[in-house]
This record gives sequence, structure tokens and C-alpha cells, in this order.
Amino acid sequence: MRHVSRSTLLALCLLATPAGVPLATAQANTRQETVVIVGAQEAATPIPTLLGNTAANMAVTDLMFLPLARIGRNNITSGDKDFIPQLARSWTRRDSLTLVFELDSRARWQDGVPVTARDAALALNLARDPAVDPQRALLLQLVAEATALDDQHLLVRFKEAYDEQLYDAVYHVSPLPAHLVDTVPRGALGKSAFASAPIGNGPYRWVRRVPGQQLELTANDQFFLGRPGPRKVLILTVSDAEARMNLLLSGSADVLQSSAMIATVSRLAADKRIRIYPMPSFSVGYVSFNQRDPADLGRPHPILSDLAVRTAITMALDRRGMVQATFGPWASVPQGPIPQMSWVRDPGYKPAPPDPAGARALLRSRGWVDTDGDGVLDKDGKPLALGLNYPSPSAQAGVLALQIQEQLRQVGIRIEVNRLEGSVWGERRNAGAFDLDFGQATMDPSPAGMVQTWSCAGRGGSNKAYYCDPKVDSLLALALRAPRKEALALYRETVRTIAADAPAVFLFTTTTPMAVSDRIKNVELVPVAPWSAVWRWSPGPVP
Amino acid sequence: MTRWLLRRTAQAVLTFLVVTVLLFVLMRLTPGDPLQRLEGDRQMSAEESAALRRRFGIDQPMGAQFRTFVTGALAGDLGVSIEHYPTPVTTLLVSRLPASLLLGGTVLLLTFGIGIVLGVFQAVHRGRRADRWLTRASLTLYAMPSFWLGLVLAWYFGIRLQLLPVAQMHDPLLSPDATWLVRAGDVLRHLILPALTLTAVSIAAVMHYQRTALLEVLRLDFVLAARARGLPERQVLWRHAWRNALFPVVGLFGLWLPILVSGSVFVEQVFNWPGLGHLAADAVGARDYPVILGTAMLVSAQVLLGGVLADLAYYALDPRVRRA
Repeated sequence: MRHVSRSTLLALCLLATPAGVPLATAQANTRQETVVIVGAQEAATPIPTLLGNTAANMAVTDLMFLPLARIGRNNITSGDKDFIPQLARSWTRRDSLTLVFELDSRARWQDGVPVTARDAALALNLARDPAVDPQRALLLQLVAEATALDDQHLLVRFKEAYDEQLYDAVYHVSPLPAHLVDTVPRGALGKSAFASAPIGNGPYRWVRRVPGQQLELTANDQFFLGRPGPRKVLILTVSDAEARMNLLLSGSADVLQSSAMIATVSRLAADKRIRIYPMPSFSVGYVSFNQRDPADLGRPHPILSDLAVRTAITMALDRRGMVQATFGPWASVPQGPIPQMSWVRDPGYKPAPPDPAGARALLRSRGWVDTDGDGVLDKDGKPLALGLNYPSPSAQAGVLALQIQEQLRQVGIRIEVNRLEGSVWGERRNAGAFDLDFGQATMDPSPAGMVQTWSCAGRGGSNKAYYCDPKVDSLLALALRAPRKEALALYRETVRTIAADAPAVFLFTTTTPMAVSDRIKNVELVPVAPWSAVWRWSPGPVP
Repeated sequence: MTRWLLRRTAQAVLTFLVVTVLLFVLMRLTPGDPLQRLEGDRQMSAEESAALRRRFGIDQPMGAQFRTFVTGALAGDLGVSIEHYPTPVTTLLVSRLPASLLLGGTVLLLTFGIGIVLGVFQAVHRGRRADRWLTRASLTLYAMPSFWLGLVLAWYFGIRLQLLPVAQMHDPLLSPDATWLVRAGDVLRHLILPALTLTAVSIAAVMHYQRTALLEVLRLDFVLAARARGLPERQVLWRHAWRNALFPVVGLFGLWLPILVSGSVFVEQVFNWPGLGHLAADAVGARDYPVILGTAMLVSAQVLLGGVLADLAYYALDPRVRRA
């Protein structure tokens, strides 16, 4: 028996050794030249006009497709100067309604066909079609037409003169290969061959997608801006947060977009092989007050339609303390629905300190007093009791919800915390079936994006809490058409107005901790398109 | 025998149909919006949401959805995944089945192989120190939540010692030129931690069943008679006693057979094992109705098949069942 075992072992060694040694070397080389990114959600397709607008899809878009231009380092979306040329070498203004882009003649699709103005015009016109992409059609409603003047020149005409014309023309959609997409019927784009194996013009080309598991991209050596450093990019879909972290800590993965919670970041930072890069984000977290009665959306909310109650809740909360305890240095308190990266953010803003006594007094002035001594304020026999919904996958929402519950208990407001499965939370949110709702949104770089959630027109769409203040609407309309300096003042006034209306408690705006293996050098992260600079990274030997 | 088998199969098919209809109806009555995950953290407009509902047919009344599902299912088409659009559900199931079979098969083999041997050992050494320690150890492992044990093992062997992979079924960067031996070795390394976790938390049941059953049999007259005839103890134990003590374990095996397909949701999640359990868990979270239904149908078919196979095994092994 012993003899047989040894022979088997020897045979296995003999079989493995000649094939194994060169293979192991090749394997090590492949690993060294590959950047492995771990993500929570699957990147279904990099073609933004075909599916939901998930961050995962947009990440792959960054790796495969170039826009005409990118927003510059200061994230200023207004005017024509603060943009970095990409596919477009330059742009000129014919008049206040017309922009002409000159495309870089070196740009090629990954099948060798030159990138032309026709490709850019096609993508813009597709995105403007509500039947293809209703969301983008709304954002591009001021674009009148996009036309190819010749192979190199694209003309974009706008319906009105406004300062964010260039932003609208370049940010929302990247050019698509007309020779592959134009022949596909609009309704069949999602199931087309192009959608399953897209051809881009960026630094990486599509290799394959294993649904729910991984997406593989390889370097495009014909990329006209230079040869990509990492030869391969692998994006792993890992739904479990612990498994994601384990992959990075064990050295099997190189990059993880971590949660900003201090406990998570500290665990990653404790590993000397990992570096944490702060990446300011466009994310804002808030607790919305439903202004409509969840039982009948035609009626105002019996408690929260009163501005004094909403203001008192905001006053009672120690937002700074909560954010500090939950995120440490990785988040700050926003003034309103404005992320820390926005160019209109007021850098001098400091959140008011908590004022529970003031909150109690304000509530008392509106008739809310504790008549039965049970610790909960009441009025006309009804207690000041509200439900707070949050999605169970969000650990930070869970931590903050409990702090909110406790702080409001101290001023006599009873909060019932409802931890809901993500899809149930989403359903209730869309149906307006909530009192308080925990939300986190990635805002558009343009402050004009506030119109989606915080204007009267957004009600029933992104504006789930039915907030409406005509003054905010008119300020937003004025800011959109104003030159930069005036626009800045108008946007800041809009934010102050929204904050005074208290449609939500604006809790945090985060800095995303990007955990990257120490072996990757020259790491550059572009906040508006995090993965767009991966091609310039330099992966080193695997430890 | 044929009549019994036909009757048993007909019962199984009927149960399967009832389960499928119930699953379809209950799933749609459960609160939750399948589009929530597609929305991600960028909010979707009402128009976009309506367009996506039309695409996946979830804007239709339940009756119409059921008709579409039945028509498709009869043609072998279980629809298209919402989460993994435009991948067909059958493609997803087929791609995840090998991983589940491998993990489930390994766990069944280890759990029953080792569990039976240890159970017999405990019965033979009843009341002694080894028996007591094995009971304590197996019950301690049994009491541990599988995801917790998985995390501990992943941390120790994967992160601290850097000996074993902490997730996935294979190295995604393995060269296409790798030999089958290298590939098999790679899968084996990835298999160790999830299989060990599941085996550790499950083995106590098999040990306990086997120990109790064998102790019952060892008291019976025919064992005494065999010993009285002067048969060697090993022969008495394995040829006479153990065979008769195997029936409860066969029943248990039949109940556990579905693990082949369903895997373990928690362990597959912790190790990112690309099996059907993982797929089903993600689909439930995303309310991906076609995938939930597809995996649930597969698992219920496996449960029913397990029951039929266990009955067949009883039939083959126990002459008393055949006579009845």
C-alpha cells in the first residue's frame, strides 16, 4: 500500500513538473500584468444607453469608451474651458447655440475602423430618444440636434443659450460605433451582438463576461493615447462584503472600492500591503421626510407636512457627531443636496450644533407636548411617532438609523426603525409608503442635476418625498442659464433655500476610500470616471 | 415493483407541479421591486422604470405572466434573467450547476464517508473517552454557524497563512494552456475551505444517526447469534450489524441529496463559490423572478428525486420493505 502511494505521488510529480514550471512562470507574469478589481454589483454592459444606469456599468464604460472630453480637475461643469480633450482634439463656438467639435484623427474603434463625427452624432441622438433612454433624454432636452459636418467635425446645436452646453454634449454619453449600431433596430439594442461583445475606442477591449462572476478586458495596443500599462483588467463580482475584503487582503485582488465606514477602512488600512486612496465622491446621504400621507398620497402628511416638525428633527440631531462616529475622516456634513466635489459647494459651511432644547421648544410651539408622561410628545391624542425605512444591505444606514432613533427619543419623538430588504425598501420608496426614508444618491457633477430630486417637476420620479418649493424651481432655472459667477451664487442660494425648507436631514457626503494593492504604482483616480486612468497605472511584481 | 415506482413517480411529478405554481404565485405576492437593483445608486426616472418593466414583462397581470411562463417552460425556455440581462435563465442554471455538483458532491462524500466511519467507531467504543470527545467535538462544530466558521477558516488559512484561496472556484487568471492536472489542482485548492466548512458543520448528524442505529442493532439477537457462532468481531460488525444499521443513514442521505444542487447559500456567499445557492440568494435579493423560479424548480425536483431514490434504496436493501 505504501509502495503504491509513493508511486502515485511520484507519477503526479513527474506529470506536473515539466508542464507546471513554465506554466507557473507564465501564470505569475499574467497575474503581475493584470489589475483585479472587486465590485459588489455586476457590470452588465458598458453601453450606457441600453440598461439601468448602474455605477458598475459606468465603470466599464470608463475602461472601454472615450468621451469627447472629460470634466477637469476642479469639476466645473459650467463654461467651455475646464474640460480635458479626449476623442475631441478641440471645440469651438460658432454662436451661443452652436458648438463644433474637431475629433482626433488618430482615434480608432477596436476593430480598426476610424472614429468619426458620425459616431458621436449617432450616440447623442440615440441618447436623446426617450424610447431608448428616457433618463438621458430628459437630461439632454436642451440639445436640438447633433450632426456630422464631415468625418472629423461634429456640430451640436442647442435650443437655448446656457453655460453647461459643453457639459451636456460630452458628459452624458460617449460616441458609439455607427458602423455596428446604426443597423440595429432601436428596440433590439439590448439583445444585439454589439451589446454582448461591445467594441469600444478606449484603452481596453472586451474579452468576455461570465454572468454574475467576472468580466475580462484586455489591453488595446492600438489605443491612440498610449499603450496601457496593465495588460488585463479583471472585474470580479462578489456580492458578499466579507468575501470582497478577503480577496483583497489575501492578495487575490488589487482594487476595492471600500465602504467609507471607519471600521471597514481601519481594517484595510491595517494591512501594510494595501494603500488607501481618498477619492472625493458625488455621493450624498440623507433622510427624506415624506410630505405626503403614505396612506393617501393625495393628502399632506399628518405630521411631516409641518415645516416646524421637520426643522425640529434636524435641530435635534447631532449630525457632525454621527458622521464622525460612523465615518471618521471619510465624510462630512453637507449643507444640502450638494456633494463635497461639487464646484458650487460652499467651503465655509459649518453645520449648526445640535439643539435638542430648541427642538423641544419649537415642537411645543406647534402643540406637541408630553401630556401622558410616557416620554413621547403628543398632540390631539396622537403620539409623535414616525417610521424610518432603510435598506438592509447598507451597513452605514443601519448604524446611523439607530443613532437617529436614540437622539430623537431624547426630544420625545418615537422612531420605529424598519430594516427592509433592498427590493422591498425600493418598492416602498417608489410608492411613497414611508415617513422617513434613508437614501443615498450619486449626484450628477452638474448642480443642475438637483432638478431631478429637489424640484416640483421631479415629483413622482426621483423626488420620492414630494418636496416642492416653486422658489427652488425658479432659482434652478435661473442658475442654469446664468454665466458661471452668477450661477454659483444662484446655486448656493438654491441649496440654502432647500436646507431651510428641510425636505430631508442631509447627513453626509463621503470620500470614497479606494483600497489598492501596494504593488500598483502611479495610481490615479478620476472622481467623475474612477477607472478611466487605469491604463496609466503600473502594476509591479506580485508579493 | 413497476407499479410502485410508477405511483411514486406520478406523486413526485404532481408535487413538483403544485410546488411550481405555488412558487410562481407566492413570489409575486412577496413585497419587493425587481428593478431596485438595476436602479443602483443613480436614480431612475418613471419613464425608464416603465420601459424596463415592459422589457421584462412584469408590467403584465399575474395571469398573463403565468401563461407566458408556462408556454416558455414547456418549450424549455425559463425566460431571461432580470439581473443578468440578456442571459437566459437556463444558461445561468447550466453554467452554475457544475460548481454546485462539485461542492455538494464533495461535501456529501466527506460527510457520509467520514461520518459513518466515526459513527461506527463511536458505537463500538461507546461510553469511552474517544466516544465522549468525538461527540463533544462534532456537536461544537454543529453548533457553529457555517458562515462564521467559513470566515474564520478563510481568515486563518487564506489571509494569515496565505495557504489557500479565500474565494472563487478557480483562479480567473489561469492560462488557457494549463493542463487538466493543473486545472484540477487549482479547483481542488479552491474547494478545500468551502467543503471543509460545510463538512465540519454537517458531520455531527451523520455520526449521531450512525452511532444510535448501530447501538440499536448491536443489541439484537442475530448479532449475539453471529458472535456465538464464533465469527470474527470485524465480520460481525461490518457484514451483519452495520448493514442493518445503515437504513436510517440512507434515509438521511436521501434528505441531503438536494445539497448537490442547492449547495449552501451562506457558505457559497462567504467563499464566492459560483454555485446555484449563491445564484439563488442573489436572485432573491434582486427579486429576479425568472432565476428564483428556475433555481427553486431545480431544487424541488432534486428533493423529490432524492425521496424517490431513498425509497428505491430502502427497497433494494431491506427485504422487509420488498415483502410489504
